[in-house]
Amino acid sequence: MQRIESVESFYRWQWELASRLDPEAKVVTVCGGTGCGAFGAEAIRESFLQEIDRRGLQGQVSVKTTGCHGFCEKGPVVVTLPEQVFCPSVRSEDVPEILEQTVLNGEPVERLLYEDPVTGSRVAHDHDLSFYSRQQRHVFRLNGILDPIDLEDYVSRDGYAAAAKVLAQMTPEQVIDEIREAGLRGRGGAGFLTGVKWGLCRAADGSPKYLVCNADEGDPGAFMDRSLLEGTPHAIIEGMIIAAYAIGASHGIIYVRAEYPMAVRHSGIAVEQAREAGLLGKDILGAGFDFDISIHQGSGAFVCGEETALIASLEGHRGMPRPRPPFPAVRGYQGKPTNINNVETLANVPLIVLKGSDWYRGIGTEGCTGTKIFTLAGKVNNTGLVEVPMGATLREIVYGVGGGIPNGRHFKAVQMGGPSGGCVPARYLDLPIDYDSVKETGAIMGSGGLVVMDESICMVDIARFFTEFVKDESCGKCAPCRIGTRQMYDILLRITEGEGELEDIDRLERLGEAVREGSLCGLGQTAANPVLSTIRHFRHEYVAHIVEKRCAANSCKTMVGTSCVAACPAHVNVPEYVALIGEGRPAEALETIRRRNPFPSVCGRACDHPCETFCRRADLDEAVAIRNLKRFASDEVKEVGTPPVWNGPREGRVAVIGAGPAGLTAAYFLSLLGREVTVLEKEETIGGALITGIPAFRLPRDVLARDIEYIRRAGVTIETVRQVDSVQDLLDAGFDSVFVAIGAQESAELAIPGEHLKGVEDTLAFLRQANSGTLAQVEGHVVVVGGGNAAIDAARMAQRLGAESVTVLYRRSREEMPALDEEVEDAIVEGVKMHFLSAPVAIEGNGRVAQVRCVEMQLGEADEEGRRRPLPVPGSESSIAADRVIIAIGQQANLGLAEGYEGLEVDGRLFRANPVTQRSGESPVFVGGDVVTGPSTIIQAIGAGQRAARAIDMFLGGEGELPAERVLAAAVMPGESVMAITRKPLPVLSPKQLHGAFDEIVQGYSAPTACLEAQRCLRCDLE
Amino acid sequence: MRCGGSGRSLGSNMGSALADNGIEGRQVVDGILERFQPARADDLLPLLQQIQDEYGYLPADVLEHVSERTGIPTSRMYGVITFYSLFHLEKRGRHTVRACRGTACHVRGGQGVIQAAQNYLGLTDGETSENFMFSFETAACLGACALSPVVVADGVYAGKVTPERVEQMLRSIEAAESAG
Repeated sequence: MQRIESVESFYRWQWELASRLDPEAKVVTVCGGTGCGAFGAEAIRESFLQEIDRRGLQGQVSVKTTGCHGFCEKGPVVVTLPEQVFCPSVRSEDVPEILEQTVLNGEPVERLLYEDPVTGSRVAHDHDLSFYSRQQRHVFRLNGILDPIDLEDYVSRDGYAAAAKVLAQMTPEQVIDEIREAGLRGRGGAGFLTGVKWGLCRAADGSPKYLVCNADEGDPGAFMDRSLLEGTPHAIIEGMIIAAYAIGASHGIIYVRAEYPMAVRHSGIAVEQAREAGLLGKDILGAGFDFDISIHQGSGAFVCGEETALIASLEGHRGMPRPRPPFPAVRGYQGKPTNINNVETLANVPLIVLKGSDWYRGIGTEGCTGTKIFTLAGKVNNTGLVEVPMGATLREIVYGVGGGIPNGRHFKAVQMGGPSGGCVPARYLDLPIDYDSVKETGAIMGSGGLVVMDESICMVDIARFFTEFVKDESCGKCAPCRIGTRQMYDILLRITEGEGELEDIDRLERLGEAVREGSLCGLGQTAANPVLSTIRHFRHEYVAHIVEKRCAANSCKTMVGTSCVAACPAHVNVPEYVALIGEGRPAEALETIRRRNPFPSVCGRACDHPCETFCRRADLDEAVAIRNLKRFASDEVKEVGTPPVWNGPREGRVAVIGAGPAGLTAAYFLSLLGREVTVLEKEETIGGALITGIPAFRLPRDVLARDIEYIRRAGVTIETVRQVDSVQDLLDAGFDSVFVAIGAQESAELAIPGEHLKGVEDTLAFLRQANSGTLAQVEGHVVVVGGGNAAIDAARMAQRLGAESVTVLYRRSREEMPALDEEVEDAIVEGVKMHFLSAPVAIEGNGRVAQVRCVEMQLGEADEEGRRRPLPVPGSESSIAADRVIIAIGQQANLGLAEGYEGLEVDGRLFRANPVTQRSGESPVFVGGDVVTGPSTIIQAIGAGQRAARAIDMFLGGEGELPAERVLAAAVMPGESVMAITRKPLPVLSPKQLHGAFDEIVQGYSAPTACLEAQRCLRCDLE
Repeated sequence: MRCGGSGRSLGSNMGSALADNGIEGRQVVDGILERFQPARADDLLPLLQQIQDEYGYLPADVLEHVSERTGIPTSRMYGVITFYSLFHLEKRGRHTVRACRGTACHVRGGQGVIQAAQNYLGLTDGETSENFMFSFETAACLGACALSPVVVADGVYAGKVTPERVEQMLRSIEAAESAG
């Protein structure tokens, strides 16, 4: 390489290189980033070279290793030029096909293309992938294109043109003005104006001056600096030359983590190349400016990211911060004026110089200009590097670019800013993100690390995790930081282990304030942020850990044990019975289930299976089909069976009001515990909401009858057509305790005109008639209002009963619909029309309903829970013909029982009970199920019944111990081979069979299928 | 702050590379010292890094030799060495396995991977096996969060690692070594 002696010869060289670029050249670009490297990119590169060799295509097709493409999730990434076909997760065996079809013929290989996780469609070109199309890549534009260690490649694409422009045409003051006017703020986290910082250093007395590029990227979750240094090291060097010229520095240092070997190597090579070309060293480009760069490796201390600690480290000391002022701009490295900029900040500089501050200010928000690179990781479909304008919302980043949350789980929070930041909950999803706005949430933007968390992540554990980190990384200089973080850690640890007390929350807040106030540097001042922000937004999780000894995310190991078991409100021993099914022992599996849940046949069909939501196998491919396995066990065992009946004399009389799932469960366990239990049901049939709410095609009545018979055999007396008007009467009649489980059967009102017209009814009334056979046929057009399971059940029933059309109106979108996904899909297959984002405003008709007026809705900003608020679209009203309108928008409790008995506590339209014991205040009355929670799920009601049974038994002087768990299945950890087994679907009926069927329409597993599916369990219980 | 050693003073029962390697060992460290003429206080970190690159750790007698040659007290070296997590005062295994415990790895099951590796090796964080085959350590963040959970074995990155997979990795290192 010949040294470039002048700016003119640089431009000539650049022009020559640019004119040599061939836009039609066939090039296979293989991502050389660390991410793709981990997935075997080097082997893919070799395969391409061999295949090109084998076919004699040298000279026709070239292979190029580039910097990181940013879509690390899909590594190894290959993009073929000139068509820009994006090939994700390439395997060596795919190479010949890609070469033949895509490179030579320009045709994408359909089966190898990227599949959009939201739409399911295949996408060929990188710019069409939602991951890329929703980004604005400026700083990152060359990363996936350049060979990182090819100087000419960089120069041919305007590389070093900004440096040349500065040296030839601008004074240092003009450069500083340009950067200041662009509004560039430091990307390392603090967001200080870069131009102002440069100005301070330029104005400071002292010589020589130093420029440091801070590449000690230690924030867990952030890796943009690594990617920039690995992928476009010359751009960083160019930024440093411009910065050094502006402040008058003669020496530059890149302080880079030793944990980033490729970044160390590439920046070292690039510095050598630039020096050889005369872009570093004495008299750069003949412009009379001297500047050179050395590389200094960090040695694994997070605190060295702090300016003064970094300087101490550079000077050969322990990396401990010192008080500021004097700021490094005045007294820095070796006591001389020193300017420290972050990698990403420096990467922005050449862009601003070339395109101008006006252009730059046009991107982003008023106070925060330009773009920001975020690193997206954690529980999100598309992980990788994301560059978006400042002011983009979290929703755009997590859902737009990131493709949402995998495995059907829900977004809980995003951790921003690493150990200095905090957890930002769902209600801020629509907040435009910049340095200033994020502070409102209690987090900071920091360097831009975003770790997405779903409902399986415990916020207390995350606080513990970060506090452990800062405790370990505290340099020890300031006592509040050194000792305070230790104390906070100990408290958090005991909360996650179920040993916390309520005062601990106040202690954490006080300690957090003390650490913040009393620490010298940024590490200590922000060390409490993860704790304080999680207390602020997720206090209920702290309280649940402390009071209920419950981890809502089912992740705190000592408290939770196995996550599927913890997630089940009835705590059924899932791994045990799944293993028994795998061993071909369904009868014992069924008995295992019944030790915690007397409704295996019901739950095998109609449970919303929280166990599957928290199944750890879902993190690898898909959850184990636990519900289907439960059904298999109950189908396979034809006999009702014999419960472990209490043999001794029965003591303590308990009345249970309501024979629904909560009441019958409580009765079952109380009976097994030796109590004398009578269930009083006002209807003729037994089952409560299981009968009135769930159609027979989902829950055959003989199946339900089997579970009820088993409960009877436990010794429970059930009296039907027994209306109870007063709890006091029961206590007076000699019952020692009463369990109220009457469900929520009063319909809520829509509060719109025409609601009381003939032909409008609530869903329970409709289903009750339909299920009992009093309503045998439905005519005309049916409109169902609501989005829960009851709405879908009513719609499917109306369809079966012969309605001309059935339309469901739901005011939000499909994603927000609370009904089970598979139910919604079946309904659509059967012909039910879904009008999402549609809400009724009036029901019209002359005495009888004739039509429903609807308004279109759009989703606005997130509410407290992160669900987007539906807002009416003005002028979008329309009408749907309707002969019958079924309202399914949430039932309420009948509170009549509270009258005349003061022991029953009321909370709005529901009863109130202790969440652990289901007890109502200090009375002998216990309450549970929908009557406390509002319309909820079957398994929640069963859980409430089980809790009530234990508490009532203890109230009556017993131990409250449920039937002992048994360990029958072999304790065998699954081998690697089970990873190859994919989740088994249930046999499905054709749409035609589905359409009119009143019988059960979903079939269960065969024995061999069930056995295979059961083997997919990872046996987390054995860990 | 995690330390390379357990707080013992330099030179007690720590490694003695010079005794093991004699003249040759001394030549290596002298070669490194040649690059720092005259050695200044702020050369200490690069100096230690280069020594560790050569010896795999920072042997006590080498450090004493460096101290004599440069005038940098061993006490100051010890202060610096124990501050930074990448410096080691004890002899290391032939294979270094580092598992990431960063945030992204943590939320995607990294703890299970760390546990599996520790169980398999019978080592806890920072320990080296008796036959010097493996050193196991965890890192605050390896900066490959998009691939979480991440394990780096002998400098080679592996992404989306499961407990089963990390055992497999360790087995294959063992197999490669016993195959010669």
